[in-house]
Amino acid sequence: MNYKPDEGTLISYLYGELSADEAAKVQVYLQANPEELKKWQALSNTKDVMAHVQDKEVIAPPIFMDDTKVVSFWNNNYFKTVMSIAASILFLMVAGKLLGTEINYQQGELKISFGGKKEQTELPPSQPLLTESKVQEMIQSSLAKNNEVIAANWTEDQKRLSQSIRQNLAQNSRKIDELMKTASDASQEQVRGFVASLQSENLKLMKDYFQLSTADQKKYTESLLVDFSEYLKEQRKQDLMILQTRVNSIEKNTDQFKQETEQILANIISTPMNKSNRNSY
Amino acid sequence: MAGRQKTGNFLGRLKLFRAIRHLYSTNPQDVAETLLDIAMMHSDSLIARAREGDKTAQSKLVQLWYKRIYNFGYKFFYDHDLAMEVAQKTFISMHKNIAGLQEVTRFKSWLYTIAVNYCREEARKRKTNRAISLNDLKPGEGEESYRWEESHQRRENPERQLRQSELSDLLQSCLMELSAEQREVVIMKEYEGLKFREIAETLGISENTVKSRMYYGLEGLKKILEQKKITKETIGYEL
Repeated sequence: MNYKPDEGTLISYLYGELSADEAAKVQVYLQANPEELKKWQALSNTKDVMAHVQDKEVIAPPIFMDDTKVVSFWNNNYFKTVMSIAASILFLMVAGKLLGTEINYQQGELKISFGGKKEQTELPPSQPLLTESKVQEMIQSSLAKNNEVIAANWTEDQKRLSQSIRQNLAQNSRKIDELMKTASDASQEQVRGFVASLQSENLKLMKDYFQLSTADQKKYTESLLVDFSEYLKEQRKQDLMILQTRVNSIEKNTDQFKQETEQILANIISTPMNKSNRNSY
Repeated sequence: MAGRQKTGNFLGRLKLFRAIRHLYSTNPQDVAETLLDIAMMHSDSLIARAREGDKTAQSKLVQLWYKRIYNFGYKFFYDHDLAMEVAQKTFISMHKNIAGLQEVTRFKSWLYTIAVNYCREEARKRKTNRAISLNDLKPGEGEESYRWEESHQRRENPERQLRQSELSDLLQSCLMELSAEQREVVIMKEYEGLKFREIAETLGISENTVKSRMYYGLEGLKKILEQKKITKETIGYEL
């Protein structure tokens, strides 16, 4: 039998809230399972012990719950709302009257104005005082005047400019003439002295230069000659050494050649003799 | 229609009369309490009248249910003042909202829902105001203990009465060690006699959750009682 009641079923069984079938099932289960029965009995005992908590006696206090509110006419919400709307409308009307409010709606245009109407004196329809031709003439005349003024200003400016240019030119030419005069005023002697001094200075410089250059050249050539002679000596030495080595090598070669020829000769001499000996046997 | 209503009322009265006669033949001391239970059971018409705005019916409902709601609050808080506060608020709320009660049969769970909500509200307030006032003293410790107001057991042996009262306080303190969720279910089932379905309706949770809370609540109480060495046998010996 796989039936196992859950906690809810057990607690319902404890409080007798199970159907007869369910209760019988649980009873059988508890009888078959002494451990579970023990647990259940422990719960039952706890329940029995806790049942000893007594109810407290209490006398219900008088609770006055008469809430039929007598609302007077003046405190009626409806009356209050109506009165407040009426008061606000009256206030607006009085304010409008005092401020002279005027509201107009004409041709899709709403106008709200305060302070009453202002009397406006209607002006007679104005007639055109100037015709187009007159206006044209006026424009023409003003243009002509303007042109004249501009031309006059132009000529004046031209005059001023040319005058100032002339003045400047005259001043400059005067200054140049003065300079030329001062230059021509310088004496011939001064010029000659200056030239002579220049020449003597140049001469000195040239002399020094040549002197210096000849000494240097000498030194240089000497050194060159010395170097060249040394070079020649060295070259000669080297040539001699080369010659020596070559001669030595030739000597060696000749000696070697000699030895070789001697060996060859010795071989040639010895070989027929052996051959002749062999054949004899 | 009127005739049928009259017949119903007559049958109800007859049943009530028979029950009273039967009870008088048994234990006269329990008559008052059982009469109250019968009155509760037959309070449907009272609720219907109260719903229609009958002030007398409303005040009768208060008289009928005040003790139950007060005791629910008292067992929840273990505090007389808070229980009074909850009870008063519950009945004021009942008076204001009874017109909106849909079904007369659901009055019990509806009333307990209001009471539970006020209990939770008070518990929240108490959590925030952690200052201990003189009123927080355990009942019986103050000079003006309302215990003297208890009159129903005056004819009993005073010693036995005192022992019972002490045991009740001890068990009440054990009950206070449970979580609020388990406590409210245990009180509703064990002391208020609500069915699991009614508790589920009251708390707005499933019946299985209610049963689970009850099961673990009892398990918790078993452990607490074991710690305090209170057993069925010791109680029997003491009393």
